[in-house]
Amino acid sequence: MGGGGPEGATLTRDDQNHPMQNVIERVINLLIYLLESPVPVTAEKVRFTVAGYGDQTDDAFHRMFERDKEVLRRLGIPLERQALDAFEVDFGYRVDPEKYALPDPGLSEEERFALSVAARMVRLGGGNAGLEGLHKLGGVERGAGLEPLGADLGAESEMLGDLFRAVTERRTIRFNYRDEGRSLKPYGLAHRRGHWYLAGDGGQGIRVFRVDRMADLEIGDEPGSFSRPPLFDIRATMISHPWDLGSEPTLVAKVRFDPEVAWWAARTLGVDAVDGEPLEVELPVSNEDAFVGWILSFGASAEVLSPGSMRAEIRSRVQAAVKGVA
Amino acid sequence: MTSPRTVSRLARILALIPYVLSKDSVDVGEILDRFGYTEADLSRDLNMLFVCGLPGYGPGDLMEAYIDENEVIIDAADYFARAPRLTSTEALGLLAAGMAIIGSGQANPTLSSAVAKLTKVVLPEGEAAISVEVAGELDTIGQLRTAARELLAVRITYRSLSREEETVREIEPWSVFATLGNWYVQGYCRLVRDERVFRVDRIRLLELTDSHFERPEGVPEPGVSYSPSDDDIVCELGLSDQARWVLDYYPVEILSESRKETVIRFSSPDAQIPARLLLRLGSAARFISGAEVGETVAEIGQDLLARYP
Repeated sequence: MGGGGPEGATLTRDDQNHPMQNVIERVINLLIYLLESPVPVTAEKVRFTVAGYGDQTDDAFHRMFERDKEVLRRLGIPLERQALDAFEVDFGYRVDPEKYALPDPGLSEEERFALSVAARMVRLGGGNAGLEGLHKLGGVERGAGLEPLGADLGAESEMLGDLFRAVTERRTIRFNYRDEGRSLKPYGLAHRRGHWYLAGDGGQGIRVFRVDRMADLEIGDEPGSFSRPPLFDIRATMISHPWDLGSEPTLVAKVRFDPEVAWWAARTLGVDAVDGEPLEVELPVSNEDAFVGWILSFGASAEVLSPGSMRAEIRSRVQAAVKGVA
Repeated sequence: MTSPRTVSRLARILALIPYVLSKDSVDVGEILDRFGYTEADLSRDLNMLFVCGLPGYGPGDLMEAYIDENEVIIDAADYFARAPRLTSTEALGLLAAGMAIIGSGQANPTLSSAVAKLTKVVLPEGEAAISVEVAGELDTIGQLRTAARELLAVRITYRSLSREEETVREIEPWSVFATLGNWYVQGYCRLVRDERVFRVDRIRLLELTDSHFERPEGVPEPGVSYSPSDDDIVCELGLSDQARWVLDYYPVEILSESRKETVIRFSSPDAQIPARLLLRLGSAARFISGAEVGETVAEIGQDLLARYP
């Protein structure tokens, strides 16, 4: 269709009739109606009551209503859908004002300010949802100076938000992990060393998954469908080094770090080293693959002394790399 | 789909109304500042609210929303007396930010109590369900942050990531930031007379100097943004599935992707970085091209094999 038709004309009238303006106006009217209505209301009722839906064909109305419901969900507004009769023919919608409203955490202006500084310093993926959330808590007056410290908890923030919701609302989830389908009661989320981890129980005790390796996430419909073990503490499930993570049996590796890298290895491991001296340590390893990778990142300045099987693994890995460049 | 901008605008409106309703009087300036509004956006939103309200939409059903002598007035909007609850992404964003700062050892009691209060609302029975640590806690971070704030140069003993050598250099720290699990300091290095990024855990010794510096205008936001230069060593590698984590850790260019293999171009100022990576990956990666990297792998490989006879 050409741009000069009547449709094009309506789009270019003044700001008040801009499509985005219309959506916002309509969604606000819809939300007011759903909050104020004492009983669930049908889509038809909405259509003939709420401003902005009139003069639409059936199809156009349904598309519009679906989009507006989606906007409410993205705003985090708990839209309830209930069957209006025993046969589940008619459905009604409402927003419970109690569930809609933010429980007041009682933050002082100083506390809000501290949170806003933190949210400005720490980014979670692309956007800054934390700062937007702060508006709901009353916003903060800006005027803070430049903060020379920042952190990027780089992550797929959309999936994280969904996982966090599953954790807080205690909903079971399903996902694929390394091409294997899994079902899990998610107990907690943690960020360590640049990665997010989800801990939960899939029927074989508590296990930990790296969030960026999870795919095809589906969140269960039922909130409160499990209870978290009373003594669960996410910190206790998180390990301090990547080589502690894994299901292989734990073995003990004896390693020697040459003097020039000893201080750095000591710092990473949280042990003491004497300046200018080599460092020899015994370390428990449950993920041999990750551990060997870490040792090889020191080049020829670190050496596994035992066990012999790990020395053989290193040798074959190095041989493979050398052969690959020959 | 409705645009994220529309959703953001709505979220801000739904936060604005309860704030104004809760106050006896609020002036325009405070609202602009507190909610990040421009004057034009605020009057546009108020004008729109003025025509919203209860079905019937007669004069008694609509909200009142306008600016009167520099005061923002909203009335007849009791259904919006309280702000909507936080979305899970917003709640997580705030909690994670607070916890990251607390975990970095830079917290203050106010932030700790704010996080505790927020946790109680968001996770009433599961305080132990979330934990954020950015990277190991290092004493150096506090000193660097002070230096960056007070614009004081620091003298560092630094072991570079790529070369097996230690240098002592004076740097002018502009910002300290964490990404991918490591802390970095970005600034001007007086030794090489250029902008540099240093990994904080590679700083063995640090001393504050009394030499002041000027922070240049328009320093980019903290972040590791490595942009390849013409002097870079370049190589091409094929990554198998087990080696795909490399894409998360290094700024690489993906040349092709298939079920079997991801081919990348790896640029770095030094051949040591890709060479060690190849040794680490063993048969999980395939070396395609890059003569200097190949030679370096062979060199370190010989040294290593000598240690594992």
